[in-house]
Amino acid sequence: MKICMLTWEFPPRIVGGIAPHCLGLAKALARENHEVHVVTLDFPGAPISEDVEGVQVHRTKIELGHPSFITWTFLFNHFMERKVAMLSRDVDFDIIHIHDWLTAEAGISCKHYLNKPLVSTVHSTEVGRAQGLHSPDSYLIDGLEWWMAYEAKRVIVTSNSMKWEIQNHFHLPEDKIDTIPNAVDVAKYQKEIDRESVRRRYGVWPNEKLVLFIGRLVPQKGVEYLIKALPIIVQRRPEAKLVITGDGWSKSYLEGLARSTGHGDKIRFVGFVSDSNLVELTMSADVLVVPSVYEPFGIVALEGMASGVPVVAGNVGGLSEVVEHDRTGVLVHSGDLGSISWGVNKVLSDPGYSHWLIENAKKKVKEIYSWDAVAKRTAKVYEEACRR
Amino acid sequence: MGLRGFSMPDDLYFLCMLHNIGATSTEKSLTMEEITRWTAMEPERVRSNIQKLIETNYVKANSSSGVERYHVTEDGIRKVLSMYS
Repeated sequence: MKICMLTWEFPPRIVGGIAPHCLGLAKALARENHEVHVVTLDFPGAPISEDVEGVQVHRTKIELGHPSFITWTFLFNHFMERKVAMLSRDVDFDIIHIHDWLTAEAGISCKHYLNKPLVSTVHSTEVGRAQGLHSPDSYLIDGLEWWMAYEAKRVIVTSNSMKWEIQNHFHLPEDKIDTIPNAVDVAKYQKEIDRESVRRRYGVWPNEKLVLFIGRLVPQKGVEYLIKALPIIVQRRPEAKLVITGDGWSKSYLEGLARSTGHGDKIRFVGFVSDSNLVELTMSADVLVVPSVYEPFGIVALEGMASGVPVVAGNVGGLSEVVEHDRTGVLVHSGDLGSISWGVNKVLSDPGYSHWLIENAKKKVKEIYSWDAVAKRTAKVYEEACRR
Repeated sequence: MGLRGFSMPDDLYFLCMLHNIGATSTEKSLTMEEITRWTAMEPERVRSNIQKLIETNYVKANSSSGVERYHVTEDGIRKVLSMYS
């Protein structure tokens, strides 16, 4: 099949989980001999077009700007649409696949002028991210998400909780939605690392326990609860040190919060970490905590499971489907400091238990969450969308 | 959770505007006057926000033909985009 995938983030433009998802899926589809074209946005230093392991990547220059974010998204959608129009002179696409509302406008437009079926993957919803619709921008985004789901022939979600959410919120018929989980590239984690030197790079000393957080620093990720739980954790495990990777608009608030705990010296903000360094850091951690309060899937938990680090995760959304409590990780109550500290201490205090969780998790990841399996299932959705 | 409905710190609001108007690389960098025009902010407010954002590594200054120009860095781009995904 000839696939045209539209996404606003694709490596090296990495914001959240959509970039690694699109990269993993596109590469796996290319391995299955599909012709995959990814149309995305430019990023400093990235080439305008390149071949990434068989995937044709086309980066769109945004030639116009506007102070309003929403207007800016309309503008870049226009330029993406133009890029697809140019490509379609040479390639007769079979399917258009969009990811989240940010590329909805371009995708819907391409669907109509190319007369090709549209598949959309809903990674998260505005009503979930913002925990309600509290502003005109939120209503607008919510409307675009509904429109995207309405126009799509098939809608893909990555977890059953997300399926339930969009079925109810957008009144979508159940049989229009396919649940296909995210996946992880296990091979990335099969490498030798010098654990001590990696930990030293992030200010963690040999006698300390590395408690790791990976994610955008925004409220939905629940990192504030992990910071608040640290004083309780260190009562039992004084050697615990929290390393927070990532950036986001809550960063300065969280830095202030960390100082106010009286344990500022045990909390390190290390900012955005490149993919290869992140793999090493994850493999060096003693526990990975995913304290999200809203998480449609939770790819970070899956990456932790693949890397051989015990995972403590909030019992919400897709996380509770990815992590099996007391078997492949520990589920805790999101936002509950006592529960979070209990989970972290449980893992840090019992190496045998922790090792057992790691082995079970690795096995589960290998069996279920491979990109090749996800690509096969996605290709079936494409076929179905083309058939009807 | 997006920023919608929350009050945004002024420097972040400014960073978003700088990003959305397209000042995202050296070639697309803008002068203080151009930024003031685009953002419709007082020059003093623009200056103080730029200063703050340079210190936090979200904005970079470059000088060509004696004119200072400013653009959002890669970290700054990620910071802005984190609000809407």
